[in-house]
Amino acid sequence: MSAVTRDMLMAYVDGQLDAADRPAVEAHLAANPEVAAEVLLWQRQSNALRALFAPAGSEPVPARLRAHRIAAATGSRRMRSWRWAAAAVVLVGLGLGGGWFARPLLNGAPAASASLIADAVNAHTVFVAENRHAVEVPATDQDHLVTWLSNRLSTPLDTPDLSAEGFTLVGGRLLPGEPNAGGRAAQLMYENAAKDRVTVYVTAALPDRAPAYQFANAGGAEAFYWANARITCTVVGTLPEAQMKTVSQAVYRQMTEGDVTAGPPYRG
Amino acid sequence: MTDFLDQVETCVPALRRYARALTRNIDLADDLVQDCLERAISRRALFRPTGPVRAWLFTILLNLYRNSLRSSHRRGQTVDIDTIPEPSTPATQPGHIALAEMARAIETLPLDQKEALLLIALEGLSYSEAATILGIPQGTLMSRLGRARAALRVATGNSAEPHLRTVK
Repeated sequence: MSAVTRDMLMAYVDGQLDAADRPAVEAHLAANPEVAAEVLLWQRQSNALRALFAPAGSEPVPARLRAHRIAAATGSRRMRSWRWAAAAVVLVGLGLGGGWFARPLLNGAPAASASLIADAVNAHTVFVAENRHAVEVPATDQDHLVTWLSNRLSTPLDTPDLSAEGFTLVGGRLLPGEPNAGGRAAQLMYENAAKDRVTVYVTAALPDRAPAYQFANAGGAEAFYWANARITCTVVGTLPEAQMKTVSQAVYRQMTEGDVTAGPPYRG
Repeated sequence: MTDFLDQVETCVPALRRYARALTRNIDLADDLVQDCLERAISRRALFRPTGPVRAWLFTILLNLYRNSLRSSHRRGQTVDIDTIPEPSTPATQPGHIALAEMARAIETLPLDQKEALLLIALEGLSYSEAATILGIPQGTLMSRLGRARAALRVATGNSAEPHLRTVK
């Protein structure tokens, strides 16, 4: 029989005593009342600690302490920092050679165009579903629409004529936009006889004023994006790809007439 | 990945309990647990899947707590008024421990003793797991536990009883 040590007595209290040592400890306690009193006190200490703090472990866990939620949040934070890294790569790529923006969106790195396209597709999805409130200013008030949107975007804006492609202007609206593209965006909506709708999302030029072109497929919609020294423009629709291209080219042709390498003319 | 998160999630109640006992403040404790979870989840690649997730989480939590104490010593500590127990009359029964008394007594323990005692007495961890969490040999853990229990005995007014002879 081994001598009973303080560690064995604590192990007895903590329920971690080897079964083989148990008889020795119990005999020791029976023979030494002052030791038994000390051990009883340790047990009461543990009971008091559990009585004080154990309830905290049974409270419902608040949402901010859900592991899956935290994982989702850190994942998106990582994604954001990845995007910054990707943006840096884009800048380096621009420095090394042009033509980067000609690369397809899904293949290339995220850039200002990606958020503009995303905004355009979102706005398209939201407002083509509307009937009575599809537009803010109807096509019947086209002159006002053109003046208003041109003023708000601080860039001359004309509504392309898509009648050759079977589309007529429904109207337009002003939307909040990307801060680096003037903070505002104009959305023009067109509709054909089959009630298919196409939207044209226009913002002021990006700070770099660099020409860019992209086709993208996002959320089931086709988007054709381009940028020049005056504007960025994204044509969004759910038409078959060939028809989307025809419409996009018509919009592009009409909106890039004149010298698009120059900035917007001075507006008083 | 999902397995890992599920394992982490099952540890959250224990982490909250332990953090509450350390900090005695609901908000500070949950902030501590949140920091711990964020750190663990963002560094899960560093985690060796062979070891227990629970020990790893407790180690992170303790490191964060120690760091926060170091910085709050400069700022001055804040204690939630609700967690300060009402003053109580001394225990009348020998050996009786009033909860409020214990709540105050645990505050008087040095941090290394408090950490160790709460891992064993509150969390019910094995000596070897607690020693791993604290990064100390098991013998050191046992002596911290012994000192913590002796100090609590004094702090809860039970020092009049005959002191345990040191037995080898």
